[in-house]
Amino acid sequence: MEPLKTIRPELLTMSEEQIRVLMPYFVVFGGAIVAMLGSVLKKLSPKWPVFIITLATLFAGVWVSIGLIPEGPVTLFNGMMAADSFSNFFNTVFLLAAALSVMVSFRYLDREGLQLPEYNVLILFSVLGMMLLASALDFIVLFIALELMSLAVYVLVGFRRADRRSNEAAMKYFILGSAASAVLLYGTALLYGCTGTTAIKGVVHLAQAEPAAVTPVFVLGVAMVVFGFLFKVAAAPFHMWMPDVYEGAPVPVTGFMTTGLKAAAFAAFFRVFINLGLAQGATEVVQRHFHDIFWVCAVLTMVIGNFVALTQTNLKRMLAYSSIAHTGYLLVGFVTGTRSELGFAAGTMYVVAYAIMNLGAFAVLTLLSGKDDSGLNLHDLSGLSRRHPILAFALSVFLLSMAGIPPTAGFAAKYLLFSSAVQAGEISLVVIAVLCSAVSVYYYLRVLVYMYMHEPIGSPQTLRVSIWAGVAVAAMVVLTLQVGLIPERMVNIAKKAVIGM
Amino acid sequence: MDISPFFFYLFAGLAIACSTMVILKKNPVTSAFSLVLVFFAFAGIYALLDAHLIAALQVFVYTGAIMVLFVFVIMLLNADVPSFDLGRSHFLMRVSAGFSALVLLGIFVWAFKESSFHSIGGEFTLEKIEAAGGNTQVISELMFSEYILPFELTSILLLAAIVGAVAIAKRKLVGGRV
Repeated sequence: MEPLKTIRPELLTMSEEQIRVLMPYFVVFGGAIVAMLGSVLKKLSPKWPVFIITLATLFAGVWVSIGLIPEGPVTLFNGMMAADSFSNFFNTVFLLAAALSVMVSFRYLDREGLQLPEYNVLILFSVLGMMLLASALDFIVLFIALELMSLAVYVLVGFRRADRRSNEAAMKYFILGSAASAVLLYGTALLYGCTGTTAIKGVVHLAQAEPAAVTPVFVLGVAMVVFGFLFKVAAAPFHMWMPDVYEGAPVPVTGFMTTGLKAAAFAAFFRVFINLGLAQGATEVVQRHFHDIFWVCAVLTMVIGNFVALTQTNLKRMLAYSSIAHTGYLLVGFVTGTRSELGFAAGTMYVVAYAIMNLGAFAVLTLLSGKDDSGLNLHDLSGLSRRHPILAFALSVFLLSMAGIPPTAGFAAKYLLFSSAVQAGEISLVVIAVLCSAVSVYYYLRVLVYMYMHEPIGSPQTLRVSIWAGVAVAAMVVLTLQVGLIPERMVNIAKKAVIGM
Repeated sequence: MDISPFFFYLFAGLAIACSTMVILKKNPVTSAFSLVLVFFAFAGIYALLDAHLIAALQVFVYTGAIMVLFVFVIMLLNADVPSFDLGRSHFLMRVSAGFSALVLLGIFVWAFKESSFHSIGGEFTLEKIEAAGGNTQVISELMFSEYILPFELTSILLLAAIVGAVAIAKRKLVGGRV
């Protein structure tokens, strides 16, 4: 009997390279700690210091992550986590989304009397969770990262405590999120029971090496992991309460949720399923199962999201349903990812494009909203082009981009996505997606009609746009148009990111 | 490692029965105490698996610390029974919910019956663990070497939870203004 070797010396030290690739995580965590300390300052109000610290942290993180994108993959912590171009690419997206949300929320929090330093600290923690989620290689780490991300957002959703809708949204999101986590965790437990490992790669290897290991329980475990993720990305038929949550949450938080959280869940989704089953070498049966599940989900999500959005008169709720519809398009990229030339790069590209335009739209919405998130009905926007031509133009760009009209990021991304689906031979799916997309043009353009062709109603209120929010909106407009006009660069980065995994 | 089936079914049955009680009882204090019993039943199952440390921690942390806090909070809030009464759902809803639950149960029973489980022999056998210094030592050594990342991440998660709790509680005290 040889004795157990519980301590492996190579796990007790970290090489310089490992520390270097961990820098983005250190920066964000360090920033969160400093911001936390800054929020208990006695002498001066924590408002400005925490805001500055948070922004500095996020931009430092962006800078470090962008620098690390070209690097090859490094496995860390006993193979539990990877730092590669894929994770760094997504880290950049999350950090930028968070930075923009923080910039936009500054004045908003003042107006709503919610200027608490915890808001920014929680956003930092949530981003850390997202970053870890995109780089997790082990189901344990994946689960903890998911919880870290969600936990912070549960509180952010209910941040307007005095408001009933915000409380209701937080409660619903908490129940929904817990259910999703429970399903995911149970699936993981079943997989562990079948294979004896929690490493994602380990599960795959076992399934490939021993076809006998793919028992009904194993399939059930995989299915539950899939359903857990579909819950998290709010795909139909798991979307039930999500519109209520998006509507009840404070506007900037909704923007952050629909982009950051969605991107993070999809990043983890990509990583897990490129490794698990969808990759080459998996059995034909498993692939077909996946294909069917995602196909049905994609179609349901697109149809429900788009058609329900048609009847909404509140802008926030409309964008909530449109966010569900976009999840559907992303799932199209998922169905076809394995069988087209572009592979998952088209989906990755779509995540980025969606993040840009959606953040922008919610930034404008934040600026337009009145006290307690009022004033976001369609008729409130009547004649906005005359009251505030610049904001009206920005919102038009974002909405046209979401509808997929050239020359915007949304068009480039949708074109790539659908053409890769055609390559994969999913003609019927593409037909449904294009029809849904055509339907969506109606409700996006309706907003434009209100803004540009209706007479202004009521007395014009003055809008105060802070410098921070102005910069954020302008940056998003530029990015939307830039990615739309010259998509090549973005596509190449996305391709490299997916291949580099 | 020989699990007595009698005790396993005893503890598992207790856990299931008490979990059902947790969600069915209208009185929050009764629910909380049912949850205590669930945790005790889990501890029993862990002990059957020779994971004595986990069993002890389960009793200390969950039944001891967490549940006592739970009960305290319930009593401090003075949550009375009617406030938890959410009203009855529609008849059709209840039928369809019950039906889907039964179908799901059926799928699980079928899956577990159809699957063959070869026991996966890891390197962590009872004798080896004994030789290496017992459960506690082996777990702690693993936790701080192989599983250091999840361990540290859990502490970050708890930190985030504390910040969140502060954010929720703070506004309650001051009421809108900080």
